[in-house]
Amino acid sequence: MTSIGTGYDLSNSVFSPDGRNFQVEYAVKAVENGGTAIGIRCKDGVVLALEKLVTSKLLKKDANKRIATVDRNIGVVYSGLQPDGRHFVSRARDEAASWRSTYKAPIPVSSLANRMGAYVQAYTLYSSVRPFGITGIVGGWDAEKEVDVDGAVGSGPKTGSGGKVQGAKEGGPYLYMIEPSGSYWGYYGAATGKGRQAAKSELEKMKLDPKAGDCVSLEEGVKEAARIIYLAHEDNKDKDFELEMTWVSAMSGPTQGRHEEVPKELREEAERLAKKALEGEDEEEEEEEEEKMEE
Amino acid sequence: MDHFPQAWGRPRDDIYGSYNPSYLPHNKGGYQAHPNGQPNTHTQSPIVTGTSVIAIKFKSGVVIAADNLASYGSLARFTDVKRLKPFNKKAVVGFGGDVSDMQYLDRLLSSLDVQENYRSGSSGHGDEEAENRAMMSAKNLHTYLSKVMYKRRTDFNPLWNALLVAGLDEKSTPFLAFADLLGTTYSSPTLATGFGAHLAQPIMRRAVPDEEASQNLEREKAVEVVKQCMKVLFYRDARSMNVYSMAVIDENGVDLKEDIKLEAESWAFAEGIKGYGTQTV
Amino acid sequence: MFRNNYDNDSVTFSPQGRIFQVEYAQEAVKQGSVVVGIVSKTHAVLAALKRNAEELSSYQKKIIPIDTHYGIALAGLASDARVLSNFMKQQSLASRLTYDRPIPLAQITARIGDRAQTNTQQYGKRPYGVGLLIAGVDAKGPHLFEFQPSGVTQEMIACGIGARSQMARTYLERNLDEFEGSTREELIKHALRALKDSLSQDKELTMENTSLGVSGVEEDFRMYEGQEIANWLETTFERAEEEGGESMEVDT
Repeated sequence: MTSIGTGYDLSNSVFSPDGRNFQVEYAVKAVENGGTAIGIRCKDGVVLALEKLVTSKLLKKDANKRIATVDRNIGVVYSGLQPDGRHFVSRARDEAASWRSTYKAPIPVSSLANRMGAYVQAYTLYSSVRPFGITGIVGGWDAEKEVDVDGAVGSGPKTGSGGKVQGAKEGGPYLYMIEPSGSYWGYYGAATGKGRQAAKSELEKMKLDPKAGDCVSLEEGVKEAARIIYLAHEDNKDKDFELEMTWVSAMSGPTQGRHEEVPKELREEAERLAKKALEGEDEEEEEEEEEKMEE
Repeated sequence: MDHFPQAWGRPRDDIYGSYNPSYLPHNKGGYQAHPNGQPNTHTQSPIVTGTSVIAIKFKSGVVIAADNLASYGSLARFTDVKRLKPFNKKAVVGFGGDVSDMQYLDRLLSSLDVQENYRSGSSGHGDEEAENRAMMSAKNLHTYLSKVMYKRRTDFNPLWNALLVAGLDEKSTPFLAFADLLGTTYSSPTLATGFGAHLAQPIMRRAVPDEEASQNLEREKAVEVVKQCMKVLFYRDARSMNVYSMAVIDENGVDLKEDIKLEAESWAFAEGIKGYGTQTV
Repeated sequence: MFRNNYDNDSVTFSPQGRIFQVEYAQEAVKQGSVVVGIVSKTHAVLAALKRNAEELSSYQKKIIPIDTHYGIALAGLASDARVLSNFMKQQSLASRLTYDRPIPLAQITARIGDRAQTNTQQYGKRPYGVGLLIAGVDAKGPHLFEFQPSGVTQEMIACGIGARSQMARTYLERNLDEFEGSTREELIKHALRALKDSLSQDKELTMENTSLGVSGVEEDFRMYEGQEIANWLETTFERAEEEGGESMEVDT
C-alpha cells in the first residue's frame, strides 16, 4: 500500500494513477477483521455457517442471530460491519419482494446475487457514499419443479396454452459470494472473514463438484461446516465464539425448500464431532512431535 | 336505447344537460385519466365471484367452510377454486366475492407471512412456546385486513370481497370476525357472508344462539352444523356447488380439507316445495 | 486540525477499514451520564443517573417511556435521542393501529438500527451521537436491547453505557447469574447498585438524580422518580453499607 498518503485514497469513486479504488480496498479490510463466514453447496442443499465472536459476557446467549433469511428459500451470511450487513439483507429482502410482485414467483438465487452485486457496486461509484464493509454469502434452493404462480387458485388447464410441462426439472442448490467491490461469483464452497484462508484450504479438500460424483450430502456438509468454523477459530482462540448454522434443502429434504436454522440436536452433534476432530489433530501433532523427539 | 355504455346509469343529457367535467383535474392542468373526459373510475362490480363463506366458533376452535365454485355471472366458470387460505398455524381466511381481488389479497398475505418469518427467524429456534405466542394471531390478521379493505374503499378503489377470519387470538381463545369491501367489521360466534347470511346463519344460530353456547359446543357438533349448512346452501343458492373446503382451527393448528363432496345429496325434497311456478295446489 | 486524513466524514474508510467518524460518535455516548439495564425472566429494569447543568437548573431526562410495554434510557446527545424516540413512538402506534399488537422489541430495535446505519454510509449525514437501552416486555417476554451510534444493536442480559459505565458493567458481569431468577425488587436493587458503582467517590444516588424504569409480564412500563424511589434507595444502600461494614471488619 505504497499509495497511502498520496491523496488518492481519501474519497470513494476516485482512481489512483495505477487504476485502483482504494476506498474499496479499505472496505475489504473491514471484512477481513470480521468473524469467519462460510457457505457450502452440497448435493442436496446449501449450508451456511458463521463464527460469531462473543464481545461481551453480558450478551444474551443464542440470541442476536446474524444469518438472515431472504424470501423463504434463501439465506444470507456476512463478515464485516454488522450494520452494513443488515443494510445488505434488508435490500436483498426488498429485491426478493419486488421480484415477486413482478413475476409472481420467488426470485432465483442467481438473480438475487446479480441484483445485490449491482447494488453493492453502486456504492463504489459515488463520492457521496462509501462501499459496503461486508462480504456477503448468499445461498439458497431454487424449486426444481414448476411451481404455481403466487395467488393461483384451482389447477389451471392441463394441456395447451397455459398447460404444464410434464416432468420439467431445473433449479437446485446455489451459492454466491458478493464482495465490497460488487463483484460476485458462484461457488461450491465460499469463505470470508478472518479465518478465510484456513477455511478455504479445508473447502478445497472437499468433494463438492456434483458432476464428479460422490458429492457431499447436506448432512455431511453441516458437520464439515462446523469443523471448518472451529478450525478457522484456532488462530483467534483468545476470543469466545458461538457457532451459527443454517441450511436449505429441496422440497423433499429436511427443510422442505425453506432456509432454516440447523436443528439444535444436529448442530450440537456437529460441534461435538468438530471438537473431537480438532483434539485428534492436536494429538496427532503432539504424537508426531513426540516421535521426532524420540528420534 | 342508448348505445353508449359510458352513459348507462347516468342522468339523460336531453333532460339534465351534458356532463360537466370542469371540476376534473385535467381541466385544471392536471393528469387526464380518461381520454373521453369522463371521471376516473375503478372497479364498479366484481367479475368472477365466489359465493358464501360460513363459520362457527366452538369450545376450543373455529370451523370455517366455502365451496369450490367461481362463477362468471350466472355461468359456473371454475369448479376447483380454493377459497380458504391458511395463513399460519393460528389463522385461516375465507374469501367471498371477486376472485382476482382474492388472489391479490392472497399474495398480500403471503408477503406478510414472509415478513413475519424474518422476525421469528431472528430470535432463534430455542423457545418454541414463546415463538408460538408471538406468532401473528387471527385477531392481528383481521385488524390488518380490515385496514387494507378500509383504505381501499377510502381510495374509491375497493377490493370486492367479504372475508371471514377464523382462528385463535393471542390468548389462544377462538376468534372469528368479518370484514368487507366497505371496511365494515363485526364479530359473532357464527358468521356467514353473501347468501349464507340469509340461508345458513339462521341454522347456525339455532345451534349456537350466543357466545356461551359456542363455548359449550363440541367440535363434532360444529362440523356437523357447518356440513348441514353447506348442503342447504347448495340446494338453495344457484351460484353454489356441491364440492367445498372446510378447515378446523384449534390449538393443534389448522386442519384443512379441500374437495369435500356433499354427503347424501338428494333433490327429493323439491317435490314438496309449494307456492312457485305453475303449481295449482 | 484533524487527527488524520480519514476522519473528516462518515463515508471514508481508513486504511485499516475503520470509520473514524462513527468511532468518534461512540465517544459522545461516553460523555453522557451512565444508564443501566437488566432483565430477569419476568421483568426488565432501567436505571439512570441524571445530570443538571447547574445547581438551579432541572435535571436532564434520561428515561423516555415509548409505549405502554417498553421504554428507553439514553446516554449521549439527548436531542438525537428525542428524534429516535419520536420515531419509535410513531412506529409503535402504527403497529397497534395496523395489527392491534404491541410492536415486538426486536423489530423496533432493528428499525432504529437500520436508520442509524444510513447515517454512516451517506455524505452530509452524521452518525447519531447517542446510545440507547431499550427495555420492556413483548409477546416473547422481557427483553433488553443495546443500540449504538454505529447502528449495531444487540440483545443483552444486562448492560451499562455512558460515562464510567465500565464499573457498572463489572458489577453486572459479577452478578450475571443471579439476574434471571431475580424478583422485581431484587432486579431494581441490582440496577441501582450497578449504577452506584460507576459514580465517582464524591457522588451519591439521590431522589433528585436517579430515574428508574420498570416493566414486567402483565406490568406496563412506568418511570419512577423523586419521592417514589426514596424507599428503594434507602433499602438498597443500607444493606450495601452493612455488607461493606462487615467486610471491613474481616479485613481488620
